[in-house]
Amino acid sequence: MLAQLISISSIERPYVALGLEGSANKFGAGIIRHDPDGSTHVLSNVRHTYITPPGEGFQPRDTALHHREWALTVINEALKKAVVSMHDIDCICFTKGPGMGAPLVSVALVARTLSLLYRKPLVGVNHCVGHIEMGRQITGTQNPVVLYVSGGNTQVIAYSQQCYRIFGETLDIAVGNCLDRFARVINLSNDPSPGYNIEQEAKKGKRLLPLPYATKGMDVSLSGILTSIEAYTADKRFRPDGPSAEDGEDIITPQDLCFSLQETVFAMLVEITERAMAHIGSRDALIVGGVGCNERLQEMMGIMSRERGGNVFATDERFCIDNGIMIAQAGLLSFRMGFETPLAKSTCTQR
Amino acid sequence: MATTPETQWHTVTIRIPFASDKDADIAKQVIDVDREMQPDVVKRTLSVEGSELVATFTTLTVRLARLTTNAFLENVDLVVRTIGEFGEDAARVPAPP
Repeated sequence: MLAQLISISSIERPYVALGLEGSANKFGAGIIRHDPDGSTHVLSNVRHTYITPPGEGFQPRDTALHHREWALTVINEALKKAVVSMHDIDCICFTKGPGMGAPLVSVALVARTLSLLYRKPLVGVNHCVGHIEMGRQITGTQNPVVLYVSGGNTQVIAYSQQCYRIFGETLDIAVGNCLDRFARVINLSNDPSPGYNIEQEAKKGKRLLPLPYATKGMDVSLSGILTSIEAYTADKRFRPDGPSAEDGEDIITPQDLCFSLQETVFAMLVEITERAMAHIGSRDALIVGGVGCNERLQEMMGIMSRERGGNVFATDERFCIDNGIMIAQAGLLSFRMGFETPLAKSTCTQR
Repeated sequence: MATTPETQWHTVTIRIPFASDKDADIAKQVIDVDREMQPDVVKRTLSVEGSELVATFTTLTVRLARLTTNAFLENVDLVVRTIGEFGEDAARVPAPP
């Protein structure tokens, strides 16, 4: 009885939602359609990324300027690709938070203006829920333990009694932040993303260097690892440009550091995910968030899940890295549950 | 600082003309949602007079007046560009499906 009361109602016609995302350095617009037969269709998913020069991170103000400059172009492209008019849309979904304040507000201004122009309801979406709902939709997994890993978040989550509950998380910095900041230390490019370039460099690494390993229960600590891996770049054996002819065996390359960093932090993430799986009795793991498209992390998580008789589920960069379609998906689901965000409540929250 | 009486604060009034009363009203509603970051040192009032958006800022320091005005104009710019891009299409009555 209870399950019937709270399950999503079936629809008598197709529903279409526009999703706008801009909580970090990507601006995304996506259009999704839910059909009466229960199927979901991604009509378009357009994204533009603000890429900073090597060695630099993205600052809130510059990121907000990027979103302001690109918002209309990206939205128009999403509409064009989906062959949908704004008039056909049932609700406008936007990221309410968490994220960087200035970029979030820029996107909210556009969402509100569109909402008033076309008299369409607004739906504010929690960024984390967007990631999880999209991951579940794409992979079709039932009751997984979710590992949410991105530039701003590192959490182990499971669904229980109508709520996503956090079982474990980082005690300091996010794993994506750890990787991105190390990419800056060794001057890797931010194009297409620092994490992608670390992954490529790590494939060429030969040495696993000792690093701290800091898990506690279902939590992890990463900032000390970042300090330790940075310290290796000041080591006498470190060769920033790779090995040269007169070097012996005992040298450290940037590739070795990328490899060691990935192996260590991913092992920690797999460990806390496994602990959560054992705790709630789930066999499957779902990886969402920007770091989730790292194939080495997916591979390591897959080994662990299979040993437990389950599977790992993950998506590629289109749905893992911040995008508009996940906001549309989560927003349309809550809209169908009768949820709307009144204009006066359409503010943003950084946390 | 807090001892400066509010009557001696700096005041800036900006009148922004829009193409129509409706557009001015949309801009007011959209921008009014977000509160000022430092409400104890920046007072903001927005109103619509005909097709003009009238913004008045009362701030403790000249610097705050400049920062607040800049941020406001940037927001107006984004709203105006959004209306410019979609306003005409939104006003069009959609063909029945």
